[in-house]
Amino acid sequence: MKLLAVTSCPTGIAHTYMAAEALKIAAKELEVEIKIETRGSVGVENEITAEDVKEAHAVIIAADTKIDKSKFNGLPMIEVSVKDAIKDAKGLIQSAMKLEKKNTYVDKVFEAKQEEKKKITGAYKHLMTGVSFMIPFVVAGGILIALSFAFGIKAFEQKGTLAAALMDIGGGGAFSLIVPILAGYIAYSIADRPGLVPGMIGGVLSSKLGAGFLGGIIAGFAAGYVVEFLKKTIKLPKTMEGLMPVLVLPLLSTLIVGLGMIYVVGTPVASINKAMEGWLNSLSGGSAITLGIVLGLMMAFDMGGPVNKAAYTFAVGTLAAGQPSTVMAAVMAAGMVPPLGVFLATRIAKNKFTKDEIEAGKAAFFLGISFITEGAIPFAAADPLRVIPSIMVGSAVTGALSMAFKCTLAVPHGGIFVLPIPNAVGGLLLYALSIVIGTIVSGIMIAALKK
Amino acid sequence: MELQKILAPQRVQFNLKSKSKMEVIEELIDILYKDGKITDKEKFKEVVIKREEEFTTGIGMGVAIPHGKSEYVVEPALVFGISKEGIDYDSMDGKLAHIFFLIAVPNNANNEHLTILSMLSRKLMYEDVRNKLISSKSYEDVINAFKE
Repeated sequence: MKLLAVTSCPTGIAHTYMAAEALKIAAKELEVEIKIETRGSVGVENEITAEDVKEAHAVIIAADTKIDKSKFNGLPMIEVSVKDAIKDAKGLIQSAMKLEKKNTYVDKVFEAKQEEKKKITGAYKHLMTGVSFMIPFVVAGGILIALSFAFGIKAFEQKGTLAAALMDIGGGGAFSLIVPILAGYIAYSIADRPGLVPGMIGGVLSSKLGAGFLGGIIAGFAAGYVVEFLKKTIKLPKTMEGLMPVLVLPLLSTLIVGLGMIYVVGTPVASINKAMEGWLNSLSGGSAITLGIVLGLMMAFDMGGPVNKAAYTFAVGTLAAGQPSTVMAAVMAAGMVPPLGVFLATRIAKNKFTKDEIEAGKAAFFLGISFITEGAIPFAAADPLRVIPSIMVGSAVTGALSMAFKCTLAVPHGGIFVLPIPNAVGGLLLYALSIVIGTIVSGIMIAALKK
Repeated sequence: MELQKILAPQRVQFNLKSKSKMEVIEELIDILYKDGKITDKEKFKEVVIKREEEFTTGIGMGVAIPHGKSEYVVEPALVFGISKEGIDYDSMDGKLAHIFFLIAVPNNANNEHLTILSMLSRKLMYEDVRNKLISSKSYEDVINAFKE
């Protein structure tokens, strides 16, 4: 067992160090490992690292100054005055040893999410940066458009009504920024601030040329790499270096990206877009169901990893045109199923799960209804061969049903919390039914396979 | 530990005469003042007492370490004193204090001195160090008590 401690006193001359030493002596006597960070007049010594926090059982804060506790996030903690550590270090250590490390289920999920974030690099990282900046625009715009639909699907056509205003804000405002923001922040991720200008302008051109989402991605990458290239090749004399970020880089990169979008990228991508739109609209019966199955499998396969994100990004792209989308509906539904399936399994096969797992299942339920697919990760990590296939099957079923029922969704996120908005979901009852059926399939499969 | 750097022979007192907490603080500060380490006795005393009011520096185990950080301190300096009979210093463990370290630090003390003080504070937590201090008869004994 390893403990952590921080000691600090107002003057930082004596008590900080006496408390540290007292804790060290007591820990030695009780045969427990301890690392003590002292925050005194000499500064911070023996600083506790993120690695230490990971290994530690609990932390003792013996301080009369303000200590930033955020780095101990989640660790059980005893907080006392510095004098208490001098007086009764042994007692403090004993009570710290008795503390329960309450690594909650939700913590684990967010840890997994953080890990995932660290792993992504290269082009995928740039794309994800763009997407993550874009999503809030899609959410805000999508919900406002859905609210406009709540007055009736064509209510916004009446000028001067609230429905028209909502449509203006959501569709005319937020949605018109989606592609520029996506492109701008892809370029930003590649080339830092100078990337924003050509990226955003390229994004605007893409929207104008009908190249949409796909064109925006191309514009973003092009802008980023063009800026990087210009940064490396243009060498100005020292006295004129200040012109680089305000004049040279924005002007040249925008010119290159803009011309490229208009003369090279625009037309072919616009026709690809048209074709894809046509294909999506014409999707029906078998092929729609197949797409639903594939998206479902992807959403559940790595629960928030690159495959899941690929399917999700594709779905958001279909939404960016401003129309409620069947693909978006299938993807959100399929993404909700894994944690919900896990939850159901812990309910119907109580004897196959530990008490902690059953408790964790409840947390998974809430993550599921919020469309946080990562909610299934701790269960999947513990038993991947049984859990992952089960949730993939359930999500595929849900994806297929949602497509078959032609359910549509106007917003890219929100789980069940967006379902009550009238017209946010097309085919609400059947949509809910798709989610429930997939959940039951996953739940039963996990329960049956689990030993 | 280079305790010599902040504790000079003329600032050890093996027979403190004070009977109370206030008296002993004054007695120790007097030694500091006579040695020219502080420029204003009363102002420094205020700082030390203010620090005592936050919570006592009578850390128990017979030890008290009144201290102050102030612009009236010329350079980091220690005063060491022993009281044979013990003084009621309002200690955390309720016992009488026998060993006294008065610590004076200027506002801009350098790290070397602060590090020496931090080591001193750490060592005071060890029983054998305290035993050696209480039975010390000379300046050398005090210095040696902190040697490994």
